This record gives sequence, structure tokens and C-alpha cells, in this order.
Amino acid sequence: MNQRYANPYVIGTLLGLVMLFSFYTMGRGVGSSSTFARVATAGVDLVAPEHAKANAYFSKYLSGSRSPLMAWLVFLSMGAGLGGLFSAFIANRVAGEVARGPSIGVSARLWLALGGGILSGFAARLARGCTSGQALTGASELAFGSWIFMLSIFAGAYATAYFFRKEWL
Amino acid sequence: MGPLYKLGWFDFAYGLQMAGLIGFFFGFVLERAGFGNVRKLTAIFYLRDFAVLKVMFTAIVVCMLGLLYFSVFGWIDLSHVYILPTYIWPQIVGGLVLGIGFIMGGYCPTTSIVATVSGKLDGLIFIVGMIIGSFIFAEIFPLLEKFYSAGDMGAIRLSDVLSLNSGIIAFLVCLMAVGAYWFVEKVENKFGDRDTLPGGSKRVKRSAAAILILLGLILAIINPDRVVVNRPVPQVQTQRRVEEIQKPSPKAEKPSSTKFEIVEDEGC
Repeated sequence: MNQRYANPYVIGTLLGLVMLFSFYTMGRGVGSSSTFARVATAGVDLVAPEHAKANAYFSKYLSGSRSPLMAWLVFLSMGAGLGGLFSAFIANRVAGEVARGPSIGVSARLWLALGGGILSGFAARLARGCTSGQALTGASELAFGSWIFMLSIFAGAYATAYFFRKEWL
Repeated sequence: MGPLYKLGWFDFAYGLQMAGLIGFFFGFVLERAGFGNVRKLTAIFYLRDFAVLKVMFTAIVVCMLGLLYFSVFGWIDLSHVYILPTYIWPQIVGGLVLGIGFIMGGYCPTTSIVATVSGKLDGLIFIVGMIIGSFIFAEIFPLLEKFYSAGDMGAIRLSDVLSLNSGIIAFLVCLMAVGAYWFVEKVENKFGDRDTLPGGSKRVKRSAAAILILLGLILAIINPDRVVVNRPVPQVQTQRRVEEIQKPSPKAEKPSSTKFEIVEDEGC
């Protein structure tokens, strides 16, 4: 597997230009986490439409005649999947595996991935965005709350990194 | 003048195609940086590899400078750009919990997509977790509703909080970024594996840092806030723009031929 990655400063510059292009064309930045909230909404709407409409948060995504999945960030996430696949493919990095540190088993890693996902999905809704939609986008607009949010992410992760060291090192 | 969509250059359906295109480049650059690799992502929290911080700060600085220079040149109207509102308490708690989710699961939302498409099962499980987490949030939303709106400060910016103009803020952000790069490279050289860290000549880095600081300094001197406020209303060039200006409310800016509307209440 090819482990040579691009220089982070070059990537950061390109990412900044992608965000600037997004602002110039659409008037908003990039993001992804609400995609997963919309998938959850679409699932609940499929199984129990009455329940979804009665819920104050789900109904936010159900206003209008469109499916909750016909949304900007859903398409952006699908594009990100395609772009990531293309990049991984040309670098020969597509490989089915469970990525983990050398001292943790597969099932423990998957349970922790599930737990981390649940926390992240919940937190992203609470903070109205994630690392890209809130931290990157908001910080480049110099939005006050987004800077505080970004510092909080690093604070939360550094404060607890010690307890998860066996998962990664 | 941008943002094109908000000024009626194209409709929602075309916007979705733009989203796909922007997403493609977004996912592509993230994978190029190695952000589909969970151990590369989490290495920052063990002081071994700060690629995450370098990419984030560089993207923020480049985009910030771009937005401010575009507005000074009159290429983008920042009043039409959606500024993320500040709700300070949910953002602090959300950030802390997202950080814990990051180190526990190894990904943040977008990088988990990139990991999943490169075949990582843990990335897919992380996505399943995020869907469950969003579901839990919505189900208990009535309990959280009050906290969700706590500390509402509106679309407030750093320049409002610190009572400085955007140019000086931009200059400070540039200085902070360069300082952070210098510091984390010192830390990396101490704790990281030198074989896998990116090289790059010192001269190029110094020149890039100097350009960054210079661009920030120019903004601090010309004060984009003042330039933008004083600019005369641009002459209307197209029939479409005339129609927009005649419309009574800014809400009516959407193309009237479609029933689509912008959902703007979300940052991410």
C-alpha cells in the first residue's frame, strides 16, 4: 500500500481554494454532518412518517415537498465519497480492512468506532455542525462561535487521548 | 459578483450539481492528505503528526484571505454569505463531545466518508454511529431544546467580540497560523517519526510564511470593513439584477420559476 501522502500545507491551500469556490458560487461553505441527520430523518420518515412529522427536530428536514435527502450537503457528501475514492484508487490505497493500532482487536475497534460515531453524530447536531461545516467554514468567516467550537474539539480530544492510546499506538 | 447562487445566477437543481463537484474536490484533497487513514488522523493527539492542524489552519487562512480580498475587490458580497450564528454553550459542549468522539472513533464526519470509500470497515461503522447519534439527538430534542438555543449571540464575528476591524483580525490569524506551524513542527521533530513526516525546504516555508504575513498586513492596513461600507452601490448590469433589486424583501431573491428554497439553518 502506498503511504506517501501529499504535503499538508499544499493540501490546506487547495482545500482553502475549494472552500473559497464554494463561498463564491453558493454563498456557503462545505460540510457533511447533516447528511447523516438527513439519512436518519429519511429512515424514520419511511418507517413512521407520523412520528417524524411530530418531532420538532426531524420535521425541520421534512418541510417542503422534497425528500429530506434532496439537499445540498447530501450531494456534497456523495461528491466527497467519489472524490475520495478516485484519490484512493489512483494511489492504490483502496483495501478492505479494519484500520486500527497494533494493540487492539478488530471487534473492540469496531465497537469504539460505533461509540465514537454516536458521540460525533450527537455532538454535531448539538453544535450545528462538525469539523468541516462548523470549524473550517465558520473559522474562515471569522465567526466567533466556530473558533470556540474548534478549540473545544481539540480540548476534548487532547483531554481524553490518554484513555484511548491503546487503540492507536 | 458573488455569491452567484444567492444573486440568482442558477437554481437549486444546478446548486446540487455544484455541491457534487465541490464535494468531489473536497473528498479528493482530504484523501490526498492521508485523511482516510485513521492512524494518520489520530497521530495529532499523540503529538506525532500534525497534518490535521496544518491542513485545517492553512485552509482557514487561505479561505479567510480569499473572502476578504474578494470583498475588497468587489467580487463577492459578504452580506449574502451565510455567517454561522453563535450559540456559545451548545458549541462548547458539542465541540468537547465531538473531540471525544473523534479520538474514540478515529474520524470526524467527512473523513469517515473518505475512509469508508477506501474500504475501511471501521469508517462505515462510524457512519452508522453518526446516523444513530443524530437519531438519538432528534428523539430527545424536546429535552435539549432550551440548551440548544442557550447563549444565542447571533451571527457575531471575532471582529465584533474583540472590537477590531476584520483586517487586523485577519493579520492576527495569519500570525497565529505561522506561529502554530513553527511550534508543531518543533513538537513533531521531537515525538514523531522523521521518515514519514513531510519534508519541504526551509526556504520555501519561510517565503510562504512571509507572503502570508504580508497579505495579512496589507488587509490590516486597508481595513476591509471600511472599504466595503464606503463602496458605492454597483451599477446594475443585467435585467435579472434589476428585477432582484425591485423585489421587496431579500427572501424573494430565489428564482421564481421553481418552488425550491434554501435551507440555511445548518452549518454542516
